[in-house]
Amino acid sequence: MDFFLALPSLVVFVCMGFIPLALIATWSFWSFDPDTYWIKPVWSLASYAALLENGRATVLLRTAGLAALTATASTLLAVPAATVVGLLSGPRRATLLVALFTIPFFTSGLVRAFAWRLVLGREGIINNVLIRLGIAHTPVEWLLFSDFAVVLGMVAAYLPFAIIPMVLVFARIEHSVIWASQDLGAGFWMMFSSIVLPLIMPGIIAGFLFVFVVAVATSMEIQLLGGAGASSISIMINDVMRVVNFPLAFAIATVVVIFLIVLVIIANRMLKLSRLFEDLGA
Amino acid sequence: MTHNNCNNHSQGIQTRLTRRQLVQNTALGAGALAVGTLGLPCAARAANEINFWATGTLDIGDPGWDILKNESGVKVNFTDNGNDPGPVVAKLAAGNANDIYDVGGLQGGSEKELAKRDLIAPWDLSQIPNYTNLWQWAKDIPYLTYEGKIYGIPTVINADSIIALREKASSVDSYGVVFDPKLKGKTAMEDAWINSVTFTAIYLKNSENTKIAEPGNLTADELGLVMEFLIKHKKDGQFRTFWNGWEQGLQLIVNQEVWVMTGWEPIVYAARDRGVDCYYAVPKEGYEAWGNNTILLKGAVNRGLSKMAHQFANALLSGFYGCKLGTLRGYFVPTENNVAYATAHSAAFNPDKVKELGEHVKAKFAGKVYWQNTRPDNFQLYEQWWQRLRNA
Repeated sequence: MDFFLALPSLVVFVCMGFIPLALIATWSFWSFDPDTYWIKPVWSLASYAALLENGRATVLLRTAGLAALTATASTLLAVPAATVVGLLSGPRRATLLVALFTIPFFTSGLVRAFAWRLVLGREGIINNVLIRLGIAHTPVEWLLFSDFAVVLGMVAAYLPFAIIPMVLVFARIEHSVIWASQDLGAGFWMMFSSIVLPLIMPGIIAGFLFVFVVAVATSMEIQLLGGAGASSISIMINDVMRVVNFPLAFAIATVVVIFLIVLVIIANRMLKLSRLFEDLGA
Repeated sequence: MTHNNCNNHSQGIQTRLTRRQLVQNTALGAGALAVGTLGLPCAARAANEINFWATGTLDIGDPGWDILKNESGVKVNFTDNGNDPGPVVAKLAAGNANDIYDVGGLQGGSEKELAKRDLIAPWDLSQIPNYTNLWQWAKDIPYLTYEGKIYGIPTVINADSIIALREKASSVDSYGVVFDPKLKGKTAMEDAWINSVTFTAIYLKNSENTKIAEPGNLTADELGLVMEFLIKHKKDGQFRTFWNGWEQGLQLIVNQEVWVMTGWEPIVYAARDRGVDCYYAVPKEGYEAWGNNTILLKGAVNRGLSKMAHQFANALLSGFYGCKLGTLRGYFVPTENNVAYATAHSAAFNPDKVKELGEHVKAKFAGKVYWQNTRPDNFQLYEQWWQRLRNA
């Protein structure tokens, strides 16, 4: 009975998740056919070898680094934000705050990223303020078209991805546990560090992973806010697709998917991500 | 008996191979669907309908297409192809574009590759009488022909160079300014090797005496020289950024993020509209010319729409389309039919303006021009070098 209930989801997962990924992984070992501009089933590791040339491996590592930095910053900002929403607010204020965090998503991501150019540019708001206050005499160049601008743009864009899982975890905390700790004389910081933090850890890890995965896949912020010709994994995939190098594009995608799967497995093993779902099926 | 066994064995292998091929073909089919759009093959449509798949800026809107239909009898369904030649070629080669669209319009250079793979068909010029009025130098654009047959009809042409802020760089006449250390961090190029590599090659060929035969189609050695030059300047911090798309390019100039950059002339007009004093330089090394060419997709021929497609190509050169596109976007169809049409329809179009646009484009082509080529012979090598530049 359980199997039949799960069957529709299983079919969707296999057809829309597993099969496309399996095809991409398979095709990454095929060869480009210049006669047809497509791929042919001649098995080869050439695409994986090409990943180590022309700085492509650097792009993979750099993208992962920027994504990790973004996810870390987002998580650090999300913990106090989610604490205010989940622990220190009543239902009405919590709803209002969550709405405020998610409202920016109603605008285009492109517009949001582009807006940062107007804020961080030579004639942008920040440079104008710095010059008027006498803090700088000439515009600060590194504010825009730099890794700083990229991380700032990504944190601003993807912060809600870190906040929402934490808020959901806060909702599962039994308030009696907190009251008990206070009855026993624990102050706010003691209660937060020894009771709340361990309980919300799965939400923190989930938030980190959500931001990390989205940041690995984005190209918008890097293209709009990064330095001259700054690259990312998705920009690199676009570049190779432009020259119809499909096997290389598939190889890049395969490596990224495997990396993300490994990351989730490690997070689950080491940090017990599955605790998020421990009530399910109980 | 042995013979029979061999036969059976051979048949068995053949059956297995066929199955394997079936699986592979299924996989290829699924991939083609994934790479291409998810559009369904053509639904039933009228015999006079043409699905035109072209650069978005070639769209003259429903009112414009309605007039074209009244004048030529061809009903046009326009779809934006995104302008990026890479995905367009991919959708033709591995997607279902040929099942959906009849006529294409894309930046010149890919015709030879598409023709070689039988993805597009040659035009029969006897069915396009307006072709005779096309400017001769437009007919002479390289990359339009393959094995003596014409595959591309230049529908829009122009030539690009450098945008400069008058207050900061008042007398730019060379691409050298983009690489001038005095303007370190104040210059930009487009994030597209098709244009930026060609501009740099034009500069090196003409001002640095670098041995380059054809800036639009570099050999591996020439490409290496050009890219090393770009990489060196990128490492030196010469470029503020590489811009991508109309709005980004415009914002760089309007907000004075850069003082000079290679780019499109319409950006100058838009920046002036926003009160920025900038100009389009006339480089002594010559312009990078480009043509957006009309191609006949093989699918149209297979569907029996070849005659209608020719009728449509003829209509694009008849004068109305040139006047309309010039009015809408300042783009120019290289034929005198525009002025003749505007003169005959002066209530709809200003003949002087139409003539002025033509003279402006003509003036650019009076000097040296090098043609943009979206598919140079070493196109995959271009991408590899571009990755190295990105990482420099």
